[in-house]
Amino acid sequence: MVERKRVPASLFSTCLADTFFPNVCFATVAVLERFGVDLRVPLSQTCCGQPAFNTGNRKEARKMAAKFLTVFRGEEYIVTPSGSCANMVKHEYPVLFRDEPNLLTLAHRVGERVFELSQFLVEILGVTDPGSPYRGKVTYHDSCHLKRGLGVAEAPRTLLRAIPGVEFVEMEESDRCCGFGGVFSVRYPHLSCRMADRKIERILETGAQVVTSGDIGCLMNIGGTISRTGYPVRAVHIAEILAGSEGGSP
Amino acid sequence: MEPRTRHFFRSAEKALADHALQVALSRTTAKFLENRAAAVAGYPGFEGARERASRIRQEALDNLDAHLARFLTEARKAGAVVHAARDGREAREIAVGIARDEGVSLAVKGKSMVAEEVGLNGALEAAGIEVVETDLGEYIVQLAGESPSHIIAPAIHKTREEVSRLFEEKLGEPYAEEIGELTRIVRRRLREQFLSAQMGISGANFLCADTGSVVLVTNEGNGRMATTLPRVHLVIAGIDKVIPRLADLPVLLRLIPRSATGQSLSSYVTILTGTRRPGDAEGPEKLHIILLDNGRTGILQGKYREILKCVRCGACLNICPVFQSVGGHAYGWVYPGPLGSVLAPLLLGLPESSPLPDASTLCGACAEVCPVKIPLPEMLVELRADGRAQGLKPPAEVLGMKAYAAMMSRGGILEAFQRIAGVVSQLLFKDGRVRWLPFGLSGWTERRDLPAPAPQPFRKLWKKQRGIRPWKR
Amino acid sequence: METVRPTAELLDRIRAALRGRTAAEPGLPYVSSRERPPERGRQETIDQFRRRFEELGGIFLAGPPEERALQALGETLRIEGVSALFYPEGDPAARAVADALVPFGPFLLVSPADVLRADPPVSAGIQSAEYAIAETGTLVQTSREGRSQLPGLVSDVHVALLSPDRFVEAMEECLGTLSGDPPRNVSLITGPSRTADIELTLTVGVHGPRKVIAVLLGGG
Repeated sequence: MVERKRVPASLFSTCLADTFFPNVCFATVAVLERFGVDLRVPLSQTCCGQPAFNTGNRKEARKMAAKFLTVFRGEEYIVTPSGSCANMVKHEYPVLFRDEPNLLTLAHRVGERVFELSQFLVEILGVTDPGSPYRGKVTYHDSCHLKRGLGVAEAPRTLLRAIPGVEFVEMEESDRCCGFGGVFSVRYPHLSCRMADRKIERILETGAQVVTSGDIGCLMNIGGTISRTGYPVRAVHIAEILAGSEGGSP
Repeated sequence: MEPRTRHFFRSAEKALADHALQVALSRTTAKFLENRAAAVAGYPGFEGARERASRIRQEALDNLDAHLARFLTEARKAGAVVHAARDGREAREIAVGIARDEGVSLAVKGKSMVAEEVGLNGALEAAGIEVVETDLGEYIVQLAGESPSHIIAPAIHKTREEVSRLFEEKLGEPYAEEIGELTRIVRRRLREQFLSAQMGISGANFLCADTGSVVLVTNEGNGRMATTLPRVHLVIAGIDKVIPRLADLPVLLRLIPRSATGQSLSSYVTILTGTRRPGDAEGPEKLHIILLDNGRTGILQGKYREILKCVRCGACLNICPVFQSVGGHAYGWVYPGPLGSVLAPLLLGLPESSPLPDASTLCGACAEVCPVKIPLPEMLVELRADGRAQGLKPPAEVLGMKAYAAMMSRGGILEAFQRIAGVVSQLLFKDGRVRWLPFGLSGWTERRDLPAPAPQPFRKLWKKQRGIRPWKR
Repeated sequence: METVRPTAELLDRIRAALRGRTAAEPGLPYVSSRERPPERGRQETIDQFRRRFEELGGIFLAGPPEERALQALGETLRIEGVSALFYPEGDPAARAVADALVPFGPFLLVSPADVLRADPPVSAGIQSAEYAIAETGTLVQTSREGRSQLPGLVSDVHVALLSPDRFVEAMEECLGTLSGDPPRNVSLITGPSRTADIELTLTVGVHGPRKVIAVLLGGG
């Protein structure tokens, strides 16, 4: 591997991955360190406030967002294995703090440094080959907020295709919502499951052994449905595929 | 139409269980998307046109007073009588008054969402004026005594089998499942009505300020018939339909059909300016235009102004996974889908329709296809915030969020919660799957598992492994 | 019915709603002039129109010799089951074509009024079109100089007569000439009358013509 300048970055682990999928966080760490990132994990981080913001509970969202901004106010890059959480900080914090000039400035400054993992690898580090030993037939689900919020669709595909052991197959409607939608999935469970069913149909059509994505929420939803029904496919976070580790994923 | 927007949850459940509806939706929504995708791919200027169309509509709204004043002047100069209706009741009264003054007993009507919005048909019929819908989809819906379920394909919720049975039952026509034959039946039956009606009723796709023209975009030809043959033409349009110039039309006309049906241009674009002139071969002697406010000036004033840019193409409905799953009726009023979830609360009031802004995963597909770039997901979230401010959110959700925020704002509570969850998890969910959650959360586990919380959260494991050094060297 | 006061009040409400606006002044042009289409020769424009028109299911017939185009037209009308022909008053070209068509089939020449019946004959409406827009394969018919809409409105088959000088590249060229003081009715006709209201299945000939035929006369 070419000697690279060490890039300082903080891991924005997200509350879901922290609580449910420590392995996704470790995989993210492994990939980033593989490419010379000097990674720090701010231990006082909690949640970016997305669930509260998306449900219109702005006061609560502001509380969490303000905490996030305090924790991540430094100068380094901020990398996260979750597209929707990155999108929250980048695009919704300015909405949350539109009437608070000081926090708004800070929100813009922090937002500029936030990257989703695959985006960071490709756009900032210029990675073309993740150097992963992973093997298997893999299809990719575009998380809504990663694709339409952050505009990241090519980076994860570039990385997956570059893994020698991965046979990458596209699914139909790869960017159709899986039905998660945070609180939506609990408030409208039948609608949510109907959408998840269609997603899983599309996944199964590909014959892939693994469906991957860059968003914890989607993977919880898709993986949870697979786990209940016992479909012959697994939901694995892209960080674990890039790291070449696996297990403990949804 | 009596709004049932408050009952979205129940209506959606019903729709999900309605087999015929699901068949109809699956036959249609995919086709809509395919057609649109092909049309957009075949028009390299699409993105540029979107930007321009968005600006044209924005300019029209930002200076609506000037443009509407110009429209009034020009339309009147061309012979139109222009009325203003503050709300639905006024619009109905004006329309009934016109019909009475003009001695109308039969009116033929083209598709108009605004007419649905104010309940025009019901008012005219109550006044003894027969109104015949002439758009095929609207005709079917009228015959069935229903309301449209899609703004450009009103009968999208019906299968051809259902339409055949309807024609058999209501018209005494022989059962004919073939769609061409169903269409011929309607052509034959409606021709007579076109010829004998004294008044044609239409909406408007656009009102051109600089010429006072009314623009109609249609495919079947019913709109042209209804506005050419009868003696009186009644237009009902929202004040948001104004565009500054007739010359703005090409940009909009290239976008709407592609977004709506995937055509490069709709079959008929009719630009109507004033009344029949000396020497004209045909055309109405009287033209009445009702400009409807009905809450639109209120929208214009606030942070949702951009929703008035909407050109009613239906692209946001077709792409919406929620709409695709439940169809239009579940939304409970005239405007369904993401557009309706924003517009209905603004026109009817949020208390009347508070579940609608929540009926979305915020997936953003609607904003991506909107030909005039309306930020629909942002507006949905904004409406949710308004709902919270007005105390309209489900109490359990608010309570949950308050607790959640309290936990997330104090690291200690989160840590304690994670520790307990980890212990419980190891005791109860040995295979790593949660199959049952209580009360408010049970929706998740009805058909899905939840992964069990990890015995120890990542940050704790990290601290153990690497210590608390801020930077690893 | 009193209409002035309510409309003035409406304008007042709008003005109040827009108070404090920072937007552009009225009339600022947000360019509708589309990217200039490539300069093309007339024949290329006609060819482009023909491609688009045929994509929509239209039939494009052209001479020379014109007799052959007329013969083909006659055959097409017979296949479509047409029994009656009509043309509007004051359209000598349409009249000439209708007269020339009679020998090709048992066609009855009728007046527009004969088609405005509840149970009309299967008819072809023949008319000189005012413009043909190449971009979309669109025919344009206005009410200028007493022109009628009926041939393209109530017939089963719409026959539009074109001459080479009627072709324009894009919508702008046609609307540009009309936007100063537009005629009462300007109709852009693109393909047949169609619907997809039942199961989104395309069906033609709902209320208007199910077939549109363009006949290019006078060179081209």
